[in-house]
Amino acid sequence: MSRYQVDKVMRQVIVDEKALSAFQADPEKFLQGRDLTEEERKALINVDYATLYRLGAHPFLLNGFTPRAWKGDRAALRAEYRKKIAPFGYPDFAT
Amino acid sequence: MAKLVEIIGVTHSPNFPGLIAEANPEPAIVQAAEDYESMKKRMAGFTPDLLVVIASDHLNQFFMDNMPPFLIGKAPRAEGPFAHEVRTFGIAPYRAEIDVGSAKSLLRLGSKLGVDFAFSDEFRLDHAFTVPLNFIRPEMDLPIVPIFTNVMAPPIPPAQRFYEVGKAIRRMIDEMPSEKRVGVISSGHLAIEIGGPKEGRSSSDPEFDQRMMDLIGRGETETVIEEATWDRMMAAGNVTPGFSNFVLLMGLADGKAPDTSGVRFPKSKGSVPYMAWDIEARVLP
Repeated sequence: MSRYQVDKVMRQVIVDEKALSAFQADPEKFLQGRDLTEEERKALINVDYATLYRLGAHPFLLNGFTPRAWKGDRAALRAEYRKKIAPFGYPDFAT
Repeated sequence: MAKLVEIIGVTHSPNFPGLIAEANPEPAIVQAAEDYESMKKRMAGFTPDLLVVIASDHLNQFFMDNMPPFLIGKAPRAEGPFAHEVRTFGIAPYRAEIDVGSAKSLLRLGSKLGVDFAFSDEFRLDHAFTVPLNFIRPEMDLPIVPIFTNVMAPPIPPAQRFYEVGKAIRRMIDEMPSEKRVGVISSGHLAIEIGGPKEGRSSSDPEFDQRMMDLIGRGETETVIEEATWDRMMAAGNVTPGFSNFVLLMGLADGKAPDTSGVRFPKSKGSVPYMAWDIEARVLP
C-alpha cells in the first residue's frame, strides 16, 4: 500500500492546473513510474473515490481531487459521494 | 521587551466571506459577521505594531514529504492565498511585510524555551491566514510573523503540546528584544468534516462545539486538553483537529478564561467561534 503516493497525486492535481490537465489528458501516463499498487493506480485512473477512500486516501485531498478529476456529471457525484463512502466508515489515513 | 497586548481566535472557513456577502444571509451569519467586526475593533483598540498569526497549511505546501509540526515563516514578505483556493472559493488576497527580525528572535527563543521550530524562507499563506487577516486587519498595514501548525497530517501533536507551545510563545514574546506591541491572531475551527460520510453544510458535531466553547469560556484548560483527544476530535468530524490552534491560544493566555467568547451555529456552514483575551487590559491598573 502506498497511501503517500496516492495523496501526492491528488495534491498535485488540486494545486497545479498543468498537472490537472496532464492527468485528465492521459492518467496512465501521469501515473507512470509512480510507486503505486495496481489497485491504487486503477482507482486513481477511474477516479474511483470509494476505493481510494477505503484504502485510506486523505479525505481532505480526496474531496479536492474527485470533483476536479471527475469526467461525469458533478451534481450526480455530489449526490452519491457520501452514500458510496459511508460503508467504509473512517479508514486510517495516516501515511 | 516586547509586550503581548491582545489575543484573538476566529474561524478560517473559506466559505464564510462569501456567505456574509450574500444578499440575504441567514441571521446566524449576520451575527457572526458582527462578532468579527467587533474582533477587528478590539484588535485595533490595542494598537499593535506586530501581528503574530498562528494558523495551518492545508497540505498546499507543507506536505508529508517534509512535514513540520510548528514552523515560523521568515521571508521578507508573505502573500496568499493559493490560486486554486481563489478559483474554488473566490476569497480575497492578503499581502503583508514580515517582521524578519522578530521572526528570527522567536526562532532563537524557541530553542531556549523548549520549541524547536522549523523555519521557511519561501512560502505562501493559505486561506487559514488570509481569511482571518482580512477580517481582523483588512488594512494590510502591519508586519506579521506567521507560525504554521500541522493539524492536517497525522500524527499531529496532541492538545497538550499545542497548549505548551502556546505557553512558550507567550514567554518568547515577553523576552523578544524590542519594544513591539504584539497582537496574536489564530485561526482554526470547531467540528468539521470534509470528504467523509458526515459532511454537510452545518457543523458535524454541534455538541462538541458547544462543549468546547463553554470550557474555553470558563477557562477550563485542563478539561479541554483532556477531552480534545485525536479520537474525540475525529469522531466530531474528520478535519476537527484544526481546533488545536485554539488550544494553543489557551496556552498563550496562560490558561485564563477569555474576556469574551462565543459561537454561532449557521445552517449554511460550520459553527463560527470567536474568542479574545485582552492581555494588556489585565495588567493595567
